[in-house]
Amino acid sequence: MQDRKTLILIAPAFAWLTAFMVVPCLLILALAFFRRGIYGGIDYEFTFENFGMVFDPLYARIFLKSAWIAGLAALIASVVGYAAAYAIASMPRHRQPALLFFAILPFWSNYLVRTYAWIVLLNREGLIVGIARALGFDGELPQMLYTEGAVVLGLVYNYLPFVILAAYAPLSRLNPEIAEASRDLGAGGWTTFRRVILPITLPGVATGFIFVFVLSIGNFVTPALLGGGQFQMIGNLVYAQFLTANDWPFGSALSMVLIAVMLVLLTLQTYANEHASTGRQSTERADG
Amino acid sequence: MTTLLSLRHVEKHFGHVRAVNGVSLDIRQNEFFALLGASGSGKTTLLRMLAGFEALSGGQILLNGKDISHVPPNHRPVNLMFQSYALFPHMSVAQNIAYGLEMEKLPRTEIRQRVDEILATIQLSALASRKPEQLSGGQRQRVALARALVKRPQLLLLDEPLGALDKKLRGEMQLELKRIQHQFGITFIIVTHDQEEALVMADRIAILQHGELLQCAPPREVYEHPANRFAAEFIGVMNVIPVARDGAKLTAAEGSLIRADIPDGMGGDLVAAVRPERLRLDAHACENRLSGRILATAYHGLDLQVHIETPAMPKPLICRVTADAAEARSFRTGDVLSLGWSRADTRIFAA
Repeated sequence: MQDRKTLILIAPAFAWLTAFMVVPCLLILALAFFRRGIYGGIDYEFTFENFGMVFDPLYARIFLKSAWIAGLAALIASVVGYAAAYAIASMPRHRQPALLFFAILPFWSNYLVRTYAWIVLLNREGLIVGIARALGFDGELPQMLYTEGAVVLGLVYNYLPFVILAAYAPLSRLNPEIAEASRDLGAGGWTTFRRVILPITLPGVATGFIFVFVLSIGNFVTPALLGGGQFQMIGNLVYAQFLTANDWPFGSALSMVLIAVMLVLLTLQTYANEHASTGRQSTERADG
Repeated sequence: MTTLLSLRHVEKHFGHVRAVNGVSLDIRQNEFFALLGASGSGKTTLLRMLAGFEALSGGQILLNGKDISHVPPNHRPVNLMFQSYALFPHMSVAQNIAYGLEMEKLPRTEIRQRVDEILATIQLSALASRKPEQLSGGQRQRVALARALVKRPQLLLLDEPLGALDKKLRGEMQLELKRIQHQFGITFIIVTHDQEEALVMADRIAILQHGELLQCAPPREVYEHPANRFAAEFIGVMNVIPVARDGAKLTAAEGSLIRADIPDGMGGDLVAAVRPERLRLDAHACENRLSGRILATAYHGLDLQVHIETPAMPKPLICRVTADAAEARSFRTGDVLSLGWSRADTRIFAA
C-alpha cells in the first residue's frame, strides 16, 4: 500500500525527467560516438575520434581555463557567501528570514538582465569609471569589461546566493553552546572559529562551492557577455559546435565529458556530506 | 572553611526584566553547592555570569578575593558543563577532552597522560576514539564532565547535568557526581530545577525565585525549616492549611484548633504547613488533627500516598503511609480517615 502510494507520487516527476532529461542525454551520448558529416550532418559510423579531440591540447586548454575560472568563482563565492551566512546566522532569530530574503532577491530578476547590468557598471564610459572621474581620478583606468576578472565577478555575483543558503543551513543549526564550550575551555574567538565552527559547518560550504563550480564551468552567457569573446569557456565551445560549427558529434563529446566531471564532483560532495557530522544537538534550555 | 567564590549584590537586567536581582552568596572551598529554582528563576543566568557568558548589570563576582566580573570566559579558572553537553561533534572523545588542555599549550605527552587518566576515571577508555554521536546519553554526559574536569578548574559549574538522563541513570549519576567531586576536591556549583537532586547531592542549597535569593542553607534545614511558603511548597510535598488567627490561637476552616509556634512579627493571613510523612494514623495521640474522606490512593511501592478531602483545605491533604501500615489496614476511597501530627512538625507561613 505504502509502496503504491510512493510510486504514484514519484511517477510524474520520474516520467518528466526521463522524457526530457535522461532521453536527450542518451541521444547526445549516442551522437558523440558518430562521425561528423562533410557538410555538417552526421555520418552514422561508430568512432572514438570525438573524445580524442576533446583531449587535444587546444581544447584541453579551454577545459582547464574553464575549470580555473569556475574554481576561482566558486572559491570567492564560498568565502564571501560564508561570511554573509555567518553574519545572518548570528543575528537575532526573528530577523534572519528577512536577511535571507534580501540575499536571494537578485534571483527574482532575469539572469541576462543582471549580467547586462554589469556591462553598464564596468564599461569604459560606465558607472564605475564615471564615479572615479567625478572623484577627481584622471589617470588611466585599467580595462574592466571583457576581462577574465569581469567573468569571475559575474559568476560570483550570480551564484553567491547559493553559497549563502548552503552555508546558512548548518550555521543556523549549530548549537550556540558548542561555541561557548570552546570559549569556556580556553579558546579565543578565532581559535573557536577555526577549530570548532568552521569544521562543523564546512560541509555546507562544500555544497555551495560545488554548486557554483558546476554552474560556472558550463556557463556560456557570462563569458560571452562579460568576457566579450576574448576567451572561450567550455560552454561557449559546446554552444559553437552546435550552432555555428555544426559539429554535433564533437559538441556532444564535449558535453559528455563536462557532465562526467560534474557527476564525479556531485557524487564526491554527496558522499562527503553523508559522512560529516552535522553538529546538530539539542539547543533547548530548561531555564531562562 | 575558606571562601572560594563571593557574589556581591549581583544583578542582571534584560531590558526591564530583572533576571537576577541583588544576589549575594559565599561559596566555600570544596563545597557541592546547588542553585535551585523553577523556570525563569534566574539560576541559569546566574551560572552563565559565573562562567563569563553574561555581563553583570551590577555587583561583583570575586574568586579567591579577586574580582573576575569582567574576565572573559576563556581566561577564567572556571569551567562549565553545559546542559546540552555541547560536545564537539567532529572530534573523538579523546580529542574533545584534550581540547581544553591544548588551549593551555601543554606538552603533548602531558596532554595524552591527563586525557588517559581522566578517561580511566570515568571508565570510558575503551571509547576514546568514538565520535559523540556514537555514544549513549549517559556516556556523553560523562565525556562532558571529563572535558571540564581535565582542566582542573578551581570551580566547576554544572547546568542541569542530569536533566537529559532517564530516572534510574540519574540516581546513579547523583552519587557518581558526589564521588567525583570528593575525589577531585573541586568546588561544584550545580543548577537544577529538581529539588530531589539538590537535596541528595548538595552540601548547601540556594533557592532562587524571580531572580532573588530566597534561602541558602543545608538540605535538611531547607527541608525542615523553609524560609517561606514558596520554598516550603517547592521543596518536597507540603500540606498547606489556611488558618484564622486570634491572638496565639489558630483555627482551620472547619473549626479544628491548630497548635503551632508562630514566628515573631508574622502578621496578615497565615497558613499552617505539615509534611505528608509527619502525618500519623493514631490521630488521638497528636496535638493537631484533621479528618476527611479518602479521595484517592497512589501506590509507590515504598509507601502509599493517601489523598484526603477535608473542608479545612482547598487542596487534598496528602499523607504517606508506610508499606507496613498500608498492609495492616485497608484504605478505600470514600472512607473517613483521621490524621494527626505534632506541634513541633507544624510550620507557620504568611499566606
